[in-house]
Amino acid sequence: MDEEMISKFELAIPIDRTIQAELLLLLGQQPSHGYELIQRLNGADFKSGEADPATVYRNLRRMDKDGLIKSHWEVGESGPGRRLYELTPQGLEALKVWTNYLAEQKAKLENFLNTYLHFVKSQLEMDEGRDKP
Amino acid sequence: MIGNQKTLKIIHAGALQRVVENCVELLIKQNPGLKIKILGVGSREGAKRLLSGEHYDIIALADQALFAELLVPDLVENYFVFATDQLVIGYDRSSRGSKEITQDNWVDTLLDPQVNFARSDHDLDPCGYRTLMVWQLAEKFYGRTGLYEAMEAACIPYSIHPKSLDLAKALFTGKVDYAFLYSSEAEQLELPYITLPSKINLSNPAYANFYDQAVVTVESKIPGKSVILHGKPIEFAIGLSKDSQYPELAQSFVDLLTGSEGYSILEECGLIPC
Repeated sequence: MDEEMISKFELAIPIDRTIQAELLLLLGQQPSHGYELIQRLNGADFKSGEADPATVYRNLRRMDKDGLIKSHWEVGESGPGRRLYELTPQGLEALKVWTNYLAEQKAKLENFLNTYLHFVKSQLEMDEGRDKP
Repeated sequence: MIGNQKTLKIIHAGALQRVVENCVELLIKQNPGLKIKILGVGSREGAKRLLSGEHYDIIALADQALFAELLVPDLVENYFVFATDQLVIGYDRSSRGSKEITQDNWVDTLLDPQVNFARSDHDLDPCGYRTLMVWQLAEKFYGRTGLYEAMEAACIPYSIHPKSLDLAKALFTGKVDYAFLYSSEAEQLELPYITLPSKINLSNPAYANFYDQAVVTVESKIPGKSVILHGKPIEFAIGLSKDSQYPELAQSFVDLLTGSEGYSILEECGLIPC
């Protein structure tokens, strides 16, 4: 696969699939408003890509509507008021489901990598066998 | 039924014209007989109008920082961030170089002597000082020393188009090839536009520290004095006047804008509700 194809392949993995889990985890750690969440998400070592504000806010609204998080307007003490988001009990359950799903995906990826390593090793052994007189 | 004598007055960023009009329409449906007067201006100009004694019940501005700088605590008690946006380069299909311009070559396209481009007035309109910030950030981002000064020298005088919505009209009439606008304005007017990298388009709080390096001097609230503004992510905010005669009605407007109906309106108008 050349670089262009690899880039297209990476782009085909939708950030929306995991950003909800990432946001739920961050909100589980502490309630936050969107501005702060975007900063925390981009500073997290588990982020799956650059989180643009449109994607973050769209997912926050979706999860708010679905009852996974709840929000209210918080008056700013020295700055602007902002909508503050926090995790609900349903959100905590959803985070557990996400974590199980990600653990399964991790196991599958590890199996894939192990199988690939075996494949490469067998190819090398075959090549070495061919080279012997 | 609201008595005919009640007239709610709203002053808003020109970029919010369609958003405010749509919300007003809904509020009037909910309150038959209510009269609402709206005025769209550059947000910095709008805040200064309040300082000079003009009265409005609701103030919706394109830069949340204007509230703290000019209006709180004397004229407004609380204000709320309700939407974000990004700066883009809008153009018309007949603009010179429009078939070739991309996110990678926009600087060279705009600096072509055959091409003209414009920005709004930084003393009146946040889009104006944000454009200057974008140019400063672009100089750092692309590593092109002198980019900012070159853009300033080549730009059409800013006084010709006081606010960003004026720029959009100039694009339509062909007076301007390119203009620095909010993406929501370009979307609403169905103008084609070039998006800029998020590190320079003032859209993403993740780059707040980088944006902070951009510095623009504008007229302060004291005549003859100036104030220094630093780059920040774009945030629109709304507040109620402390001396509103109809605080409940004014609050209804804010509730509408920041509720589910307002969300839909903001999204339809190309803004990001937050």
